[in-house]
Amino acid sequence: MRNHSIISVVAVAAFTLPFVIFAQTAQHPAPAKTRAVSAAPDFSGVWFIDEYRRNILPNEDPPFQPWAEALFKKRIFENTHRDPDSGPDPTERCIPPGIPRTMFQPFPWEIVQARDRVIMIFEYQSLIRQIFTDGREHPKDFEPTYMGNSIGRFEGDTLVIDTIGFNDKTWLDPMGLPHSDAMHVIERIRRVDHDTLVDDYTIDDPKAYTKPWIAQRIFKLKPDWQIQEYVCTENNNVK
Amino acid sequence: MKSRLAIAFILIVSGFALSRPLFAHHSSAAYDMEHPVNMKGIVTNMEWSNPHVFIYLDVKDDNGNVEQWRVEGNSPNMLVRSGWKKEMIKTGDQLLVNGAPAKNGSKVMRLITLTLANGQKYDGQGFK
Repeated sequence: MRNHSIISVVAVAAFTLPFVIFAQTAQHPAPAKTRAVSAAPDFSGVWFIDEYRRNILPNEDPPFQPWAEALFKKRIFENTHRDPDSGPDPTERCIPPGIPRTMFQPFPWEIVQARDRVIMIFEYQSLIRQIFTDGREHPKDFEPTYMGNSIGRFEGDTLVIDTIGFNDKTWLDPMGLPHSDAMHVIERIRRVDHDTLVDDYTIDDPKAYTKPWIAQRIFKLKPDWQIQEYVCTENNNVK
Repeated sequence: MKSRLAIAFILIVSGFALSRPLFAHHSSAAYDMEHPVNMKGIVTNMEWSNPHVFIYLDVKDDNGNVEQWRVEGNSPNMLVRSGWKKEMIKTGDQLLVNGAPAKNGSKVMRLITLTLANGQKYDGQGFK
């Protein structure tokens, strides 16, 4: 009998507590900007590539321009006829992998969502990517960078990221897929379930490819992981 | 019958998937990841360093000659996540290593699995 009473109390509390909280929130409405953030999907957390692959496209080559195909073949040859302590891949000499490859490395990265931007903190090389979601445009005049310039907007449950402003010093994947400084990357990130993030990458680079192409990667939530220190230059054996 | 076939298929596919070595860090192109080998050796030095941990082993070949090998693990951050501790390997320890040897024949190996003298096994890539 006593147990029943306890259960009743707990049940009533469970039903009424949300209304109490709701009532308090209604009495003290949050500022408009905070409401806008809470309406956006929540991607915050530490994410890790679900399946690491050396090819950005699993089954086919992208539609190369002739020079890009020749360079790709040259890099594959150099990479398979190499010494362990010297190689053509820029990341082995601690050069940033650029976007999108930084997201594909077998190291975790964290999403932090702020009022005006989404921040990606990468464990690999301790890199940071900022995606501005406050409605700004890309800057008109800028120097090319490894990570590019990213702006984003939320479309329902999807974060759409538009990135330009790359240099041409990075590879798109560990095989050596090239790109030019004209590359434009459009991403569509959504959380298909609590533990799974899917990102579709459209690579639009008319200098290197005859038409845009799409790659997809899946990332898994790692609730027990924290981003740790990684120092590429400390004792790097690759020259 | 159908379900038995299905189970057999799943076992075969998962066996294949498990037997494929995972790739670690920035490039495994220099290593023969498809043909990993086992080696037993004595630790002469360990560098607990970024971007990779290096274990130096004296390994006896079939004729009793001692070869000096460099065994390359993943970065400390990933190894710690999978249970490694810096102090667990000391000079003079005997280790069993499974890994991918360099394609060019140099005595360098990319570590896949490490077994301590007490039998404890550790993932060398830090993915698990």
